[in-house]
Amino acid sequence: MTISLAIDTSTSRTCVGIIDNGILVWSGFRDGATAHGPALPALVQEAIKGRAIAEVVVGMGPGPFTGLRIGIAFAHSFAFARSIPVRGICSLDAIAAQVSEKDFIITVDARRKEVYWARYIDGVRKGEPAVCFPKDVSGAEIYSNLYPDLLSMVGLSGNITQPIYLRHPDAVATVDR
Amino acid sequence: MSQAIVLGIETSCDETAVGIVRGRKLLANVIASSVQEHARFGGVVPEIASRAHLEAMQPAISQALRDAKISLSDVDAIAVTAGPGLVGALLVGVGAATGLALGLDKPIYAVNHLAAHISVDALTHSEILEPTIALLVSGGHSSLLQVDDITSSIAKLGATMDDAAGEAFDKIARVMKLGFPGGPAIDALAKDGDAESINFPRGLTTSNDWLTRPFDFSFSGLKTAVARYLEATPNYAKANVAASFQEAIVDVLLLKSLAACKASAIDSLVIAGGVGANSRLRALAQERCLKAGIALRIPAPGLCTDNGAMVACLGSLMVAAGRAPSPIAFDADSSLQVATISLH
Repeated sequence: MTISLAIDTSTSRTCVGIIDNGILVWSGFRDGATAHGPALPALVQEAIKGRAIAEVVVGMGPGPFTGLRIGIAFAHSFAFARSIPVRGICSLDAIAAQVSEKDFIITVDARRKEVYWARYIDGVRKGEPAVCFPKDVSGAEIYSNLYPDLLSMVGLSGNITQPIYLRHPDAVATVDR
Repeated sequence: MSQAIVLGIETSCDETAVGIVRGRKLLANVIASSVQEHARFGGVVPEIASRAHLEAMQPAISQALRDAKISLSDVDAIAVTAGPGLVGALLVGVGAATGLALGLDKPIYAVNHLAAHISVDALTHSEILEPTIALLVSGGHSSLLQVDDITSSIAKLGATMDDAAGEAFDKIARVMKLGFPGGPAIDALAKDGDAESINFPRGLTTSNDWLTRPFDFSFSGLKTAVARYLEATPNYAKANVAASFQEAIVDVLLLKSLAACKASAIDSLVIAGGVGANSRLRALAQERCLKAGIALRIPAPGLCTDNGAMVACLGSLMVAAGRAPSPIAFDADSSLQVATISLH
């Protein structure tokens, strides 16, 4: 029997869940695009009360960077403190898991009028997530107002070790100015 | 818990730093800097710094534990910089620190970066100077403070009106093509120069300034004066410019620090922050404080620049003083005022 702590901070919603042997036994969220810093520890403190957590599953994005990093930094530290494993999943996959269409697209806000997106056919992601303007995303029905499905997170493969940024930092070298 | 083991995390700018102290004994001070990644941009790029923090965080924590020869379960409390600083950078530290605190079920102290800089002297001296005047000078800050109790009472006497002292070093170094960060480069170059060869202006030192804003600083006029001098003097002697520019900054920092000591009848001065590593500032401070009968404390250069030991140290002093820990849910504050020593 494994008790998992699931965390995702890749969207404007800070999501935390406890999955005990395939059942979502606790879940909570806070909305706020800049609220992940205080929201995450507050939720986790509630979630873990009286529970022996055996692993951490964390959404690695894509998503707005600052919030995303809070979840990843937290997940690694918590797992390190408990000497338990941490698995990183693609946050879009966790969102897609609740959609039962044969062919669809998931988008999430990427700021700057762009979206992060990926297409799913027969429940499998086609290629890597990408970032572009909404008008350039087409080909199947688009789901854009969903948040990660916490229960599904534990079932995903969880082999992502680096944050999925999809953009380089904005900066111009002094020689190029 | 007077000999509590505290692990401190600092990510306010471009240093991912983890320090560990037991009481007031330094056990580990690990610093992973992304400064080289910023050099070609002429300054710290927040997103580059934040990405580097996330990559460096877990290795830095592990290295600090190895250096301290302890295991994470020996840690009694976590301390973390809550501000001021770059908010995206700070939040990586906040995420890591709250994860550790909840994972270990130990208290967390969300502390002020500026207060931590001043507190680090407690790792080197058994007797803490209180009350004291503190000159805090770095790339992001330049202020004069009165510290009555490092865990509970710091008052701001004055601060820079424009650039921070370290920022002025960086900007002049850029104009002189000395690279980034500018402080160490100018310090080194100035050793071969004549500090009295060019008379650069001392900001906010007219008689009227001494009446109206005696403890504030301004470095933008100096910056302009140096830039004009460089334009007007095609074959300028680099070392002389560096030495004279540095002297103008150091002189005014110390004039105002000693004036603050005199005005408040406090005969001790602590100099903290990255510019505290400047060799001329250290030497001239010794000289002038000795003459004025003022006890001077400047941390070793490695403890002046941003580090985790100072965060752990302030956390440890809070524990020893019986101060309440911070709530587990707190936000980073990019413009946290120095009077707020910890969040609660």
